Amino acid sequence: MVSLLERISDLIFNKPNMNLFVNGTERVVTGVWEEETLLSVLREYFGLIGTRFGCGKGLCGSCTVHVDGEPVRSCITPINNIAGTSVLTIEGLQQDNEKLHPLQQAWIDERVPQCGYCHSGQIMQAWGLLSKTRNPTEEQINTFMDSILCRCGTYDRIKKAILRAAVILQQSSDINA
Amino acid sequence: MPDVSRRSFLKATAWIAGGITIAFSARSIKEKSVSVGPTLEFPNADSGKGWLQVRPDGKVHMLCPRMEMGQNANTGLAQIVAEELNIRVQDITLHYPTTSETAPIGFTAGSLSMMLFSKPVAIAAASMRENLRCRAAKINKISVDEVIDTEGGFVILGSPRIGYQDLVTDESIELDFENSVIPTLYTFDPRRIKKQVGQEAEPRGIKDLVTGAPVFSGDIQLPGMLYGRVIKPPVRKARLKKLNFSTVQNIIGFFDIVRDGDFVGVVCRTPGSLDKVVRSVIIEWELPEPINQEKINQLLDINVALQRGDLPSTLQDENHNPIANWDVDLEFAVQLQTHAMQEPRAAVAHIEKINDIERINIWTGTQDPWAIKRHCADDIGFREDQVEVHPMRMGGGFGGREHYEVEQDAARLALATGLPIKVQWTREDEFRVARNRSPSSHRMRLACDHKGVLSNWWHAYASGYVFYSRSRLPDWLLPFKRSTAGGDFGVSRGAHPAYKSPSIRVEYKEVDLPIDLGVWRSLNGAPNTFVIESTMDELARQKSIDPVRFKLMNIPDSMARLGNCLKRVETIANRKSLPTKSGYGRGFACGVYEKNSFVAVSVDLHIDHEARKICIDRMCCAQDVGMAINPDQLRAQIESNLVWSIGMALMEKVEIGDGQIASNNFHNYMIPRMSDIPSLDIDIIDNPAIHPSGAGEVALIAGSPAIANAIRDATGLRLTRLPIKYTDITALGSL
Ligand code: FES
Ligand code: FES
Repeated sequence: MVSLLERISDLIFNKPNMNLFVNGTERVVTGVWEEETLLSVLREYFGLIGTRFGCGKGLCGSCTVHVDGEPVRSCITPINNIAGTSVLTIEGLQQDNEKLHPLQQAWIDERVPQCGYCHSGQIMQAWGLLSKTRNPTEEQINTFMDSILCRCGTYDRIKKAILRAAVILQQSSDINA
Repeated sequence: MPDVSRRSFLKATAWIAGGITIAFSARSIKEKSVSVGPTLEFPNADSGKGWLQVRPDGKVHMLCPRMEMGQNANTGLAQIVAEELNIRVQDITLHYPTTSETAPIGFTAGSLSMMLFSKPVAIAAASMRENLRCRAAKINKISVDEVIDTEGGFVILGSPRIGYQDLVTDESIELDFENSVIPTLYTFDPRRIKKQVGQEAEPRGIKDLVTGAPVFSGDIQLPGMLYGRVIKPPVRKARLKKLNFSTVQNIIGFFDIVRDGDFVGVVCRTPGSLDKVVRSVIIEWELPEPINQEKINQLLDINVALQRGDLPSTLQDENHNPIANWDVDLEFAVQLQTHAMQEPRAAVAHIEKINDIERINIWTGTQDPWAIKRHCADDIGFREDQVEVHPMRMGGGFGGREHYEVEQDAARLALATGLPIKVQWTREDEFRVARNRSPSSHRMRLACDHKGVLSNWWHAYASGYVFYSRSRLPDWLLPFKRSTAGGDFGVSRGAHPAYKSPSIRVEYKEVDLPIDLGVWRSLNGAPNTFVIESTMDELARQKSIDPVRFKLMNIPDSMARLGNCLKRVETIANRKSLPTKSGYGRGFACGVYEKNSFVAVSVDLHIDHEARKICIDRMCCAQDVGMAINPDQLRAQIESNLVWSIGMALMEKVEIGDGQIASNNFHNYMIPRMSDIPSLDIDIIDNPAIHPSGAGEVALIAGSPAIANAIRDATGLRLTRLPIKYTDITALGSL
């Protein structure tokens, strides 16, 4: 993690490059890409195309990723605002090579995706909820997920998948405890 | 036409190393394709034969004939192959061909996939199975009757199991059985206890979608690729009046401006610089014709049209009596709606030179890759064999992805720059260019006798064109098609009543509206069913007859499957009673889509005066589309359609501003969200003896009238203008 002091010193000594951590790996953004949004850098510069573009105005949530643990809309996040932060994308969600993340698995078990375009954003938003609220009520799910659009209308299954993943996470934390 | 024979296709791709393929039947796919309009080479009984292969390891490979946009049709077809060959659907390897790897296959639209492709695929797989059986018999020197099916092969009494791998060698063999008899099709045998068909198979490729794999056209990355955008005029055919790009040179990342007549394209090194450059280009357009809501309303006004006499097109006309004693006489207005698929369209184009011959590769998500190929060749002056389209998954289609559009942007910019170009439309581009579902204006009159038996039916309406709307066909062809095609069947979709009436007239007027219109989920099926089902409900209520009883009484025997859906949905709805408080209501509606798909929907809702909202609490649906190949995916389509019906009934409307479409993103075109979704009770009526029909746009037709009818039940108000707002209820003074 880059400290505030380091960031200030970077500014003073005019360090040319901008760094951030993406899915646990330190990455450098250079030149013309420093003027881009996080979405553009992820997709076109790093080739992490799992984060999708839906509206470009922060209105649909297809581009949701986590910055320092909070879900944000990468399409309206200038990359130079988040130097030094940790970014988590759908590609980095799965911790274990053998096993999908409980949310991804629940998405498959409930057969959620239709066209599938919105679901990177849906899953990242859902993780924003479950990583803090292990046992959400239906009401909490509705409120937290309401801003992530799915034109195919898979909402009912999204809700079921979140509840299913919550149970799995609960069980695994019981085992670990 | 490119000279792609099945043999050269087999050689050119990794499709076969050895094993058995069924011979490609040249006869099955027409050599000559239509140069304008969609690709119409739909399969006949022989066509599926080129799509299947058993390899020397005994594994079955299938070439997917359908474009994927969420309907998972290829999974359903793979289930059929699995059923016929006694294997598991997950053991089949799927291949998605480019336009150079196979002959043209009809465009993916209109929920035709299962209807038109299930049988050819079943025939191919069953023929493959029977050929393998003959081989087993020959090797063992016994008669074919003694070779019994088992999973992945056969058994013969007293011998070890024979797997398909034991029957196939490295030598490549093509089976040609064009003239042979069709073997038993397990899929269509109602007595058979099925193992694959009718099961809830997991959609193929689902893991890619939850892990963010590159499956959409915008995900394509090529070395040296630049980012392009064509500046879209507010309406098609606008003329460039003023263009000034003097300031763009200084913007970091700017690469080039491509100009050709009214075509203005920008190429940059990053997507962000593209946004900046496009913003700083000063551009003015001369519009061919002003558009505003008022003008459209005037053009569509059904009463003005009726005052001039009979409407130009008649769908049904028997014993019509215009001065009948009408019990109800209602006017309806259905709004302009758009697809708003989640993925704004994108394409990547790259021109390469091989042996001095230029070839263009285009990656795009389209319902009709072969049309893209033809149009691209024509557009950039290439021969068709110089164009290869790589179809990618679509982030939603809904009828909105049939034309050569974003591909044109990418192809032209790639040609102009000589570099690989990615064009990602913005959401604003998508709104501007979409070919929307036409608004329509209806007048519907009904009369019945004292018992509730329909006596007179008169439905008159005006709608913009659907198939023959502006710029869907070339200008030289359009007037000809409009005058000779015998009516635009997009306009008339859904207007045939499912009820019987001794006197009936259904007439309509197609209007040339100055906005871009086209194909949208169900065509006019949803608007017309909304009108019919609302009016039927109103008549029942005015006669104090229960609306479900009233409809059942008027459904003819030939529509028994419809009546069955309605009864079924009523039973499901009645499992929960409606709160007796005021402001709660329940409504029903039913409908037939394209003759063979039947549906009924019920809606429970309440009016929340505090939140100033119409809240849908519960929707039930019973649907009968014949054989249910994958019930889970049928259910998924129903869920999707019900969500769309909420959007249609209560939210969606493309706003028209001064001279152009004003809705341009999700803040001024509202679509349903998670909190809008009620609890859903869905029942699939499986009819294994009936050939499967379309399911992708069925429940939508009954959903929105069921909502309007529930509002009527809750408030006493008959609301006839879509979308219905909370303020419509308060304006009309409901209690
Ligand atoms: S693409 Fe970022 S919110 Fe829609
Ligand atoms: S699955 Fe298509 S937009 Fe959500």
